[in-house]
Amino acid sequence: MAEKTIQIEIKRQSGPEAPSTWEKFEIPWKPGMNVISVMREIAANPVNSNGQETTPIAYDSNCLEEICGSCAMVINGKARMACSALVDKLEQPIRVQPLTKFPVVRDLAVDRSVLFENLKAVKAWVPVDGTYDLGSGPRIFPQQQEAAYPLSNCISCCCCMEVCPQFNDATGFVGAATIAQVKLFNSHPSGKVLKEERLRALAGDGGVQECGFAQNCVQACPKQLPLTEAISDVTRDVTLQVAKDFLRA
Amino acid sequence: MATAARPDASQTSSPVGRGVEPLRAGKGNSFLFRKLHSLSGIVPIGAFLIEHLLSNFEALKGPLAYAEQVKFLNSLPLVRFLEVGLIFIPLAYHALYGVYIAMRGKANVIYYPWSGNWMYMMQRWTGYIAFVYIIQHVIRQRFMGVSLPEHPGAAFHKVQMELSNPWMLAVYVIAMIAVCWHFSYGIWLFAAKWGITPGANARRRFGYLCAVLGVVLAVMGLASIYAFVGPNYKNAPADVMPAQTLLYVTPSPGASLS
Repeated sequence: MAEKTIQIEIKRQSGPEAPSTWEKFEIPWKPGMNVISVMREIAANPVNSNGQETTPIAYDSNCLEEICGSCAMVINGKARMACSALVDKLEQPIRVQPLTKFPVVRDLAVDRSVLFENLKAVKAWVPVDGTYDLGSGPRIFPQQQEAAYPLSNCISCCCCMEVCPQFNDATGFVGAATIAQVKLFNSHPSGKVLKEERLRALAGDGGVQECGFAQNCVQACPKQLPLTEAISDVTRDVTLQVAKDFLRA
Repeated sequence: MATAARPDASQTSSPVGRGVEPLRAGKGNSFLFRKLHSLSGIVPIGAFLIEHLLSNFEALKGPLAYAEQVKFLNSLPLVRFLEVGLIFIPLAYHALYGVYIAMRGKANVIYYPWSGNWMYMMQRWTGYIAFVYIIQHVIRQRFMGVSLPEHPGAAFHKVQMELSNPWMLAVYVIAMIAVCWHFSYGIWLFAAKWGITPGANARRRFGYLCAVLGVVLAVMGLASIYAFVGPNYKNAPADVMPAQTLLYVTPSPGASLS
């Protein structure tokens, strides 16, 4: 009996400026495989389906349990995490390509530093650094914790930005992830000291206003963040902040 | 001896240096322009659309009732100012900025065929349809042919002549549905994007309400179109309110009645 195999096609690119090409692989099936483990098999025996020797696939991954956010890629046309993309649940040949809206570094590894830049631009942190002990922070009631927890699940995978029709070169939209983090840190009793600065930042070009409410972000988010709710809430806060600033100017 | 140059630190935030630009925190005026676009779609443009559809609905009562409505609207105080300030300018802004918004979006319904994504694309396509339709509608009905502000009685005939062309009738039917769609989904978008309906359930319920409104407006609009092309008022007179000659002289104090 012929051994069961997996057909996979991977869009490859040797460097940022290199042309891209699709390469096909056929590798032995094993139980419980995901797209990352398929690529590990390729690395162990880098031979494509034409029998030609090739290089192992370059990709980002780390935790393999959908918590680090590294391995987002476009699998069978959908942006998702490769580690939770189980081979037995995917249509074959499995077509894997890098995220399309981020510069390719090599193969499936892309540069997602725009999200880091955006998080810095909105000060997505709780400012507690000081030259002396600030003591214990204010108490956060369980009700507040429960409201904040879903937003704290963001793994910075950038799937919400990849699937957003407004996240592109023309708009320079900030994307849902950053807006959700603004809501998270604005709701934190210590973090909200920077609330006004965050809201003003988000009123800049590429800010909340660029959202077209296609709601792809909330569909694609592997961690089920309430992204559309966050965008709605934060846009209201930004609008009120802009109005207040206008009247106090 | 060659030494490997360290990459310039200012250029290394992104090792590749391409891709989508990060947020321009606090810079630019696009927030104001975008919010103005959103608001103008509700008031005054949405309010005007409802007024226009209600006025059109008078056509179902016949050419004279329609003429009375046109005459009433043109008798509003400062009517030319209202027309320019509350219709032409906001409409031109909403249309032009709307095309600018639509052209910068990259619809991806083929890859992500989700309902919200479809509505995103439809909002842009109905906007394009409305854009083209309204330009010809304003030129042909407001600025060409008999001037209705001076001759309200000619309104019914003018529209009837326009709709007697089956192609134009098709354009009006398509545009009526597109505009009502654009407006009703626009209300839904407004509530979602201004933070009025942040909750998923609230948005769903409000979506039903907007859908009902859209259907009611579209049915009313199509019924008005039917009034012009249906059998009830065929061959309406060119002017149901011909210019009236002064039949009596206003009595003035001191003048002797003879």
